[in-house]
Amino acid sequence: MVQAWIDGMPAALSTATAAAARLLDASRQPLVAGLGTDIAGARAAVALAQRIGACVDHMNADALLRDLDVMREAGAMLTTPNETRMRADTLLLGGPGLIEAWSELPRHLFGPTSVADDRRGTERRVFWLCPGRQTGADDKVTVIGRDSGELPAVLAVLRARIKGHPTGEVSVSVQLLDELVGALKTARFGVAAWSAAALDALTIEMLCGIVNDLNATTRFSGLPLAPSDNAMGVLQVCAWMTGFPMRTGFGRAYPDHDRWQYGAARLVESGETDCVLWISAYRAAPPQWHGDPQMIALAPADARFPRSPRVHIAVGAPGRDHDSIEHCAMIGTLAAVTATHRSEALSVADAITSIVAHLSAEPLSC
Amino acid sequence: MLTRIVGGRIIDPANGRDEIGDIWMNDGRIVEAQVGAQADASYDAIGKIVMAGAIDIHSHIAGWSVNTARLLLPEFRLGSAPRPGATPLSSAGWPAFEIGCLYAAMGFTTVIEPAVSPHYALHAHLELADIPIIDKATLAVLGNDDFLLGLIRGKESATAVRDYVAWTLAATRSLGIKVINAGGSAAFKENAREFSLDDVVPSYGVSSREIVKTLQRAVADLGVPHPLHVHCNNLGIAGSADTALATIAAADGLPLHLAHLQFYGYGREGGRGFSSAAARLAEAVNAAKNVTIDVGQVMFGQTVTVSLDVLRQFKARNQARPRKWAILDGDANGAGIVPYDYRSADFYNAVQWAVGMELFLLIDDPWRVFFTTDHPNGAPFTTYPEIMALLMSRDLRAQWVATLPADAMAVTTLPAIGREYSLLEIAAMTRAAPARLLGLRDRGHLGAGAIADVAVYEDAPDRAKMFRSAALVFKNGALVVRDGIPTQTDFGCALEVQPERDCAMDRRMKAYYEERYGLSDDLIKVPDHAIGRPEPFELVPCKR
Repeated sequence: MVQAWIDGMPAALSTATAAAARLLDASRQPLVAGLGTDIAGARAAVALAQRIGACVDHMNADALLRDLDVMREAGAMLTTPNETRMRADTLLLGGPGLIEAWSELPRHLFGPTSVADDRRGTERRVFWLCPGRQTGADDKVTVIGRDSGELPAVLAVLRARIKGHPTGEVSVSVQLLDELVGALKTARFGVAAWSAAALDALTIEMLCGIVNDLNATTRFSGLPLAPSDNAMGVLQVCAWMTGFPMRTGFGRAYPDHDRWQYGAARLVESGETDCVLWISAYRAAPPQWHGDPQMIALAPADARFPRSPRVHIAVGAPGRDHDSIEHCAMIGTLAAVTATHRSEALSVADAITSIVAHLSAEPLSC
Repeated sequence: MLTRIVGGRIIDPANGRDEIGDIWMNDGRIVEAQVGAQADASYDAIGKIVMAGAIDIHSHIAGWSVNTARLLLPEFRLGSAPRPGATPLSSAGWPAFEIGCLYAAMGFTTVIEPAVSPHYALHAHLELADIPIIDKATLAVLGNDDFLLGLIRGKESATAVRDYVAWTLAATRSLGIKVINAGGSAAFKENAREFSLDDVVPSYGVSSREIVKTLQRAVADLGVPHPLHVHCNNLGIAGSADTALATIAAADGLPLHLAHLQFYGYGREGGRGFSSAAARLAEAVNAAKNVTIDVGQVMFGQTVTVSLDVLRQFKARNQARPRKWAILDGDANGAGIVPYDYRSADFYNAVQWAVGMELFLLIDDPWRVFFTTDHPNGAPFTTYPEIMALLMSRDLRAQWVATLPADAMAVTTLPAIGREYSLLEIAAMTRAAPARLLGLRDRGHLGAGAIADVAVYEDAPDRAKMFRSAALVFKNGALVVRDGIPTQTDFGCALEVQPERDCAMDRRMKAYYEERYGLSDDLIKVPDHAIGRPEPFELVPCKR
């Protein structure tokens, strides 16, 4: 039986979806946020946002858009975790946060490669720049620099030394850096990896610049680790349905993308939004803002919020309670996942379909 | 519902018709003329041109690459909706929904997405499912994948290759097989920077030629109607004509389709070492009756190149306009997205434009030359009406030529070509021939039994205006466009072939995926339920 609550009190599903629809109809600037859902849920959510003139944001958009900003302002060379696992004989990890972003990283990437000319694995050289107080590094990894705050300067000097330009002093010895330069230039297929959640866009751009420079003479690529909660999958849906990534508003007659203006936290904290549809199906992720906006939550039954949502509809986890299509990090694209513990729990897509059925007849027009 | 389109000029080259008459439709199909019957709905087409719905055999409309192009270039779409064409790509069909509407407005009813890497098939089909009105299909890309290259290196049987190709078609739900710079992407991962037909992929010791021939034979033996669809090596460089000619020769009399031949139409003559070789190419195509080509016409303006020829795109990235790009060293082919602006004042771009025109005009048989811009690589598909107008009027071409750099025109034969396409030839090239090339017997013509995909145009002297906004378009017998505006946006289906294969290959692929990826091969398949639309696929019969 599907659980639902209105103002904290148990309610029938149909009553709850009707109440949610009334809230959205009455809202002057609705926001669809969280967006931790599978492809079907994302398609339904974006279609709903277009219909009611809402803004859309994903809980991990900050990190995702840093990588996207680097690509759409400077360009990027990219590869997948599986290609890295199989082929990269040299790995350059940049900054902290990689193991937090991908707990399996040591298992997949610190051993030998899987593919080589003679079809046997070769040893992989792993370098980690400025990991901070990192747990998970092991003796296969050469750490260069420690404090993560040093990373931008270290990268700048590294890039210059790769190109043979003069450099000033930095916290890491020139010798060590030149050894690294030698290793990078003799890589047969090198990969630089990072987690955008832990770095800023300029640092990421510098790392991507190093990758691009190394391709003058050898093969090197970049691996941005995918943020959680199907952020990459939702990004793909936003792009093909609207032409834009998340942080886009549909309140005007056209989709308006602005990473500052349509950030969920800002919209909530400024009071610009008066109703939030919070979606978090993979886990009970807490919204990352200060404030108590009026909320409709599509989240696990045990999700807790500082203030009771006006409407809370329990949804199942994609890939667990129901079949899912989502971004598969290993191969870097969308994949079909069969439910591991199939249940009667409602999917986000079905919840939204029920809400839409109760919306007032006319789609928004300006 | 019995529907009648009254009194139009029916141009149906597949059935040898160019005459005034009626088209009758019922239950989604064209039916014989109903003498004495009363139609439930009647449409006046007197003075208008009636053709089957057009078919685009090569247009990048869905998938990771197309979507990444959207993400790379948000600035080309910012701004208010009723913005005049001042924004680059503002009319190019950016979100999936617009693509279907814009194609249908021009009378197109079936479009083929020609470059889907097997792992990205699910993504491509999800995007295609959100493109309204038109029917669609994908071509699955092989030729840089470890499994195939391993089969060739291991000198495994032709049967094994056939089964693998059949498995790929089934898993990806595609209509045919595409090969893109065979071996080039794999070689690039090993630091090759050039890759020609007889170059060898280092880890495998197989040549590009071997890969192409192996796939060509497998596709033919399986009875897949569409021949192997080939994106040759050396795209876009001076002297690329030699590669195209060598590939044509390599076809050895078996059917072969060469994609966007315009990008291979360059010789090395003249002061800049860059010239048109279109005349040589056209002669070779005219002589090789087993070969079909699509043009990949360039038109001036801002666009973005989207391609799985990662080696080519990597090298082209320094000419990106604007200066940014995405290069993916993915599984197998990879991908590259590089924005580009074709400028009419640029010598090279002007030659490219002329080469495409020359190919259209010098290849004699409209059943073997296909109408494409390799959207968006040569130009957005929304330029099709202008291209049709150019093909139908030597005066219009002369006006264009007069505005282009004279030294560029001097290294082509275009100014001297007087040929003008007739409506019958346009209809053959954009309807009858594509249907035949793809094995789609139920479309591309207006005979009884065909699906009722029909386009009705004003017979306007301004042919660009005529083809830009169809007066009426019917999809499966239902009216979908009136005066260039969609009247309803139901969704079409994706066409696929599923040739027979030995189940042993399924078991082998399962084991291969476990070993290589540590993942189930179910991951890459496209289940029916994933698409979220009723009956999203339609099976097209193989030849055997």
